[in-house]
Amino acid sequence: MKIKNGFVVREVGGESVVVPVGEMSKNFHGMINLNETGAFLWRFFSEDHSIDEGVAALLEEYDVDEAIARTDVEKFAETIEKNGFAE
Amino acid sequence: MIYEIANLRISIKNRCKYTEIFCEKYLSNDQAAPFDLEVSVTDEEFYEEKKISEGYSDGYIENICLYRAICRCLPKLNRMLLHAAVLEYEGNAYAFLGRSGTGKSTHTGLWLKHLNGSKIVNGDKPILEYKESGFVAYGTPWMGKEGLGYNGSAPLKGLCFLEQAKENSVLKLTPAQAASRIFVQILMPEDEANAALTLELTDKLVTEIPCYLLKCNVSEEAVQKSFEALTGKTYKK
Repeated sequence: MKIKNGFVVREVGGESVVVPVGEMSKNFHGMINLNETGAFLWRFFSEDHSIDEGVAALLEEYDVDEAIARTDVEKFAETIEKNGFAE
Repeated sequence: MIYEIANLRISIKNRCKYTEIFCEKYLSNDQAAPFDLEVSVTDEEFYEEKKISEGYSDGYIENICLYRAICRCLPKLNRMLLHAAVLEYEGNAYAFLGRSGTGKSTHTGLWLKHLNGSKIVNGDKPILEYKESGFVAYGTPWMGKEGLGYNGSAPLKGLCFLEQAKENSVLKLTPAQAASRIFVQILMPEDEANAALTLELTDKLVTEIPCYLLKCNVSEEAVQKSFEALTGKTYKK
């Protein structure tokens, strides 16, 4: 999965926020708030990676069970796909 | 014509006379010197706005589009639009924010009534500039339907989000809490550079300026609560 171009990610008040820009801002209005894991996965999937690679990256970064990491990545990927943010 | 708004020289290319009258107090005495920014409205944008603002004059519609065009370019100039009512008291500015109908003009009206010397810099759409010394709030010709404000500026020392309530209470917000409330009150440009800069300016705003949530009714006590939180001074009746 790879997240489409056309988003800006910044920390505002300590929380990660994603804003659509350019063509993307015409299809999607508003902004997305990310928690820490979400922000990590957003950055990771800004380049093309498989779900398995996402799980491995999450395990390397955070001290979590593989099952939890997999659920997190799958949920994240589902949200990205559902909103049409994936290429 | 060139206007001086928020300490910028802005060349406004309008077609309707409306904007010239609207902005006359901001007209620059020097029409020959260079400008920082030039704006005009495309036909596409004009007719898009005309569809939404049915029943308004062409001048009014062009005027709205022109301000939006200005505001979209502001982040590159270290400035941003904030949808808020900004008051000045003893040389400092305080911004009051809330969704339409939460009582921004009612609460700021109570300040004017009870706090001698307080005045409204801009009742609806001030521009903020980020400087090394902090944020500065500017009056602009665009100041909401009540038309309250003047061509002036003051350093911004506090943000106060308003909510209606039976009892008055004031709460200090964390930067994250303030951020989640402030996004609906800013204009997000569609181009990447200005959108990124808007987020960066907003981050500085909620981390560097103390932010409060005032739950309030319509009373002098409500003024006391916001006054004491924002200024750090004791309110004297």
